Amino acid sequence: MSAHDRDPPGLVLQRAIHGRQAVTEVVDRPLEPLWRGLLVYRGLTLVSAVVVVLLTLDEFAAPGGAVVVLVVMTAWTALSAYGYLGGAAGPPDRRGRLAVADLAVTVAVVATTPLVQSPAQVAADAPVSGSYWASGAVLACALAFGLPGGLAGALVLSVALVAVSARLEAELGDIQLLVLAGLTIGFAATVLRRSAERVRHAVAEAAAAAERERLARAVHDGVLQVLAHVRRRGTDLGGEAGRLATLAGEQEVALRTLLTVGPAAVDASGRRDLAAALRALATTRVTVATPGYPVDLPAACVDELVAVVAAALANVAMHVGPEAPAWVLLDDLGDRVEMSVRDEGPGIPERRLAEAEAEGRLGVAKSMRGRVSDLGGTIELDTGPGQGTEWTIGLARP
Amino acid sequence: MIDESNEITVMVVDDHPIWREGVARDLTERGVRVVATAADAEAAVRIAVATRPQVVLMDLDLGGTSGVRAIEGILGRLPGTAVLVLSASGEHVDVLEAVKAGATGYLVKSAGVEELLAAVRRTAAGFPVFTPGLAGLVLGEYRRLAEAPSGAPVLSARETEVLRLVAKGLTARQIAERLVISHRTVESHVQNTLRKLQLHNRAQLVRYAIEQGLADG
Repeated sequence: MSAHDRDPPGLVLQRAIHGRQAVTEVVDRPLEPLWRGLLVYRGLTLVSAVVVVLLTLDEFAAPGGAVVVLVVMTAWTALSAYGYLGGAAGPPDRRGRLAVADLAVTVAVVATTPLVQSPAQVAADAPVSGSYWASGAVLACALAFGLPGGLAGALVLSVALVAVSARLEAELGDIQLLVLAGLTIGFAATVLRRSAERVRHAVAEAAAAAERERLARAVHDGVLQVLAHVRRRGTDLGGEAGRLATLAGEQEVALRTLLTVGPAAVDASGRRDLAAALRALATTRVTVATPGYPVDLPAACVDELVAVVAAALANVAMHVGPEAPAWVLLDDLGDRVEMSVRDEGPGIPERRLAEAEAEGRLGVAKSMRGRVSDLGGTIELDTGPGQGTEWTIGLARP
Repeated sequence: MIDESNEITVMVVDDHPIWREGVARDLTERGVRVVATAADAEAAVRIAVATRPQVVLMDLDLGGTSGVRAIEGILGRLPGTAVLVLSASGEHVDVLEAVKAGATGYLVKSAGVEELLAAVRRTAAGFPVFTPGLAGLVLGEYRRLAEAPSGAPVLSARETEVLRLVAKGLTARQIAERLVISHRTVESHVQNTLRKLQLHNRAQLVRYAIEQGLADG
């Protein structure tokens, strides 16, 4: 009953478009939630830095300087947040440039530590200027440039930390955390971007398929009907009109095949529908019979089988005549598939077959046999004078 | 066997006017009485009930409405009607559904006028019109059903053999010669393959209706 429930193509297209809008957020801006998270994190770390500095203000060597640093941090947090949020609408590298500027400002803030703190504070391992707030710039680099960005940002900030405190071992824990955060967020950003790219690709493919279906419908309702009509009337009229009718008929079949079959697609596990691929061989003289459901086999296998069938059909055109009819049958026996290519030509007399083989002239047959045996299948030729020829190709389902 | 003296009455169902009128004229010129035409499924059922044609020539793609639905509708009210599907090639699943719904023949639209006329006469006389393509579809359907749990229809070895030969493009006469059986026997084997599929489909529909009824009650 599936045919009844099949959606009209217009609906499929609409659905594809709606789906597209729904996934736009995920696909075009996959890191948006992480950016928003970063801004929240920055706000919280800013508050914590401000509170800590204000509570301990009387310990600073230059309390006025410490307050100025806080003001700069607050202003920069607001400014960069505005920039990051608007970055989605701006050019793609705008956030990248902002992240680099962020890192520079952060390093500058950290560098003020020896200028504002008293020797007692430094001796007591008081947090550097900016404190946890500084790590936000590393996360911004990670989001903007992925894994390399996160790592580079973490290293730059680590160097600044060691430079201002002049004690590597004291900063080691912070440096580890910075590198870890840069790596993790950078990796997440890279992976998210890649999967978004994949989704984008899939959406584009679905839209292309829907568009092809829509075109097929339009052509089916218009051009094909007229071609079919020309073919029928022309055949009746005979003469020149009859020849035109033949041409119209060939184009009708070709167009119909192109639209209804299309190139047989490969699915995610590398399999292709042998039935659809064989149906694409149908012409005005070649009749193809297959099951109505897909007969999926490994794509390479399908390509070889189709090539063998096409070679047999070309052989018919050459030896029996370009207009000679031929029939292709695909029978799906579950654990194996069987194909037959039949014509009603004069057949190949036993003697001639042997002669040709002896002279090494049986090129086509030989290459067909070779291809099938490479696949591990069987191929038989049934022929005789006046009996036509029938190739039977069998293959256990790989 | 095929009575040509009696005028055959036909209804042409197709959503495309050029095609519909062209087919109607071709048939009329050759002595077939086209009693009605219709462009969509709903009109097809309504007009068929009013005009009672012997043969319905049915396109499956009726501009958004389903030819299969139309076949079900027509055969539900007029079980004696013969339905010949005249459709574009490539609509494989639809063709199979149409046959399961009770159509007894299938012809591609690219078939010539004489071929169409012969098919209409065969259909009117109660014989199936099998193209190799349809035989391939029906064969495939039996192969698929064979994988399914029991209760599915099964073909005899001879029926399978006949169906395979039809799918390979042999005519009934050629098949009779090759298998050394009568032409009539070949026809009846072919007819059986369709009938079993239609019966199975009808049984499934009934079962489905009962299940739905029980579920709703």
